[in-house]
Amino acid sequence: MNPSETIIISTRLRLARNIAGMPFPHKLNEMSSRKIVDNVEQSLAPIDNFCRYDMKGISQLDGTILQEKHLISPDLLEDCPFGAVLISADENVSIMVNEEDHIREQVILPGLSLDQAYDRVNRIDDILGKNLEFAFDNRFGYLTSCATNLGTGMRASVMMFLPALTMQNMIDGCINDVGRLNMTVRGVYGEGSKAEGYLYQVSNQRSLGLREGDIIDSVKGAINHIVDAELRARELLKRDEPELKDKISRAWGIATNAYKLSTEEAMQYLALVRLGSHYRYIDISDVTEFQKLITDCQPASMQKNGGSNMNVRERDELRARHVAQTLTSLCKKII
Amino acid sequence: MKCTNCGLREATTEVLVRRNDHVEKMFLCGECAKNFRPDMGLDSFDMLNKLINGSPMGLLNSFNNLFDTHTVRTLVCPDCKTTSEEFMKTGFVGCPKCYKVFEPLVVQTVKKLQQSDRHVGKTPHGIDTTTEAQLKAELQSAIDRGDYTEIFALSEKLKKLLNSKREGN
Repeated sequence: MNPSETIIISTRLRLARNIAGMPFPHKLNEMSSRKIVDNVEQSLAPIDNFCRYDMKGISQLDGTILQEKHLISPDLLEDCPFGAVLISADENVSIMVNEEDHIREQVILPGLSLDQAYDRVNRIDDILGKNLEFAFDNRFGYLTSCATNLGTGMRASVMMFLPALTMQNMIDGCINDVGRLNMTVRGVYGEGSKAEGYLYQVSNQRSLGLREGDIIDSVKGAINHIVDAELRARELLKRDEPELKDKISRAWGIATNAYKLSTEEAMQYLALVRLGSHYRYIDISDVTEFQKLITDCQPASMQKNGGSNMNVRERDELRARHVAQTLTSLCKKII
Repeated sequence: MKCTNCGLREATTEVLVRRNDHVEKMFLCGECAKNFRPDMGLDSFDMLNKLINGSPMGLLNSFNNLFDTHTVRTLVCPDCKTTSEEFMKTGFVGCPKCYKVFEPLVVQTVKKLQQSDRHVGKTPHGIDTTTEAQLKAELQSAIDRGDYTEIFALSEKLKKLLNSKREGN
């Protein structure tokens, strides 16, 4: 496995667009909002079979699952009653409608796939642009409800697994370094340096005055910097190898034998198992399935799998069984 | 002080209006300020701009302080009724038209937030609507200001435009 494969989890690329002549979503009434959702849905018809979910009709559980899969934002679910999302069959594309902007086109792909993600989202954008007139200004570019997204309307994000930098309290320095490159670093689950499962989202701050390709190049530059820093930090961790082996072995032992596991515990132990794969203490046969296990462990996804009547204790028991079964079929402990 | 436009209501808003070669100060009531059009005076925020320094928050704080002292003027988007005060407090506008109405404020804000106020990326349908004359004027202005980032970006854009014209011929 390429060392960076144990660091870079996935890539997300989104474009923010609005319809010319229409108030932005926070100023729209229900009827106009619905019309926009319908128009976007019709415009997408030639591309793929998209599944539509209206936030007004969706259950809290189903909405939270979409959020846990990063297919919608928490804001769409909580604050956008006239919002909707259109999701492709492979769940790599999600188009949020009437969130902060009329349209948020988003592509998520595994690994570091910025160019591929941009190609795909750009094709979708071209097709939508043929059917819908986007709000555009020669000076400010694509007009968005917040000035922070003006210009390209593009946000390129990479999800990274950074346990060694976090464990050795080096993550804040790294965040400052990439901040100087106009990048933002956030915890994927939890906030800042307390990111659960050592998962961080790195994304561009600037969307105006740069071409899409320049933004992608700048994100790649930041990612390379962080990958190098994490690899160096992992070498430092290995200086006390018996301690490291013990930590990872204990995590493996608990994750494959516990009777019940909370979400936080599962995230912690799975993170250490994943770190173990870097040192070849543990072999993971399918990285994508391993990542799916992390999403499956989130509360709403677990609740959906086990039935909506489960209480927290029952959910923790189900999580422990699911983690143990998946790990033993997916991974092999070598040390 | 009474509104210098209608002379009826108390003035709450101050506006600088460019008239040919000189700038005129006007004091407007809330009603007249609502009908104020930015093309009446695009320099209206010059005084405020002088107060802007530091971070984007510094920008917002500068405006908020002025709102507190009732010396700042208010612009209202005729389409969605968003006010310049709302924009400066939240960073959000209400509709595409707001960007024209609040253009001077937007320029100051995005320069702080984005280090640029000019789009150079994709355009709808891949059509760049900027004309050669516009680009040349913008380039000259960037040269006058000594803004090297802009000079580079605009030169590239101009080169691309001229190349595409040549290919078209």
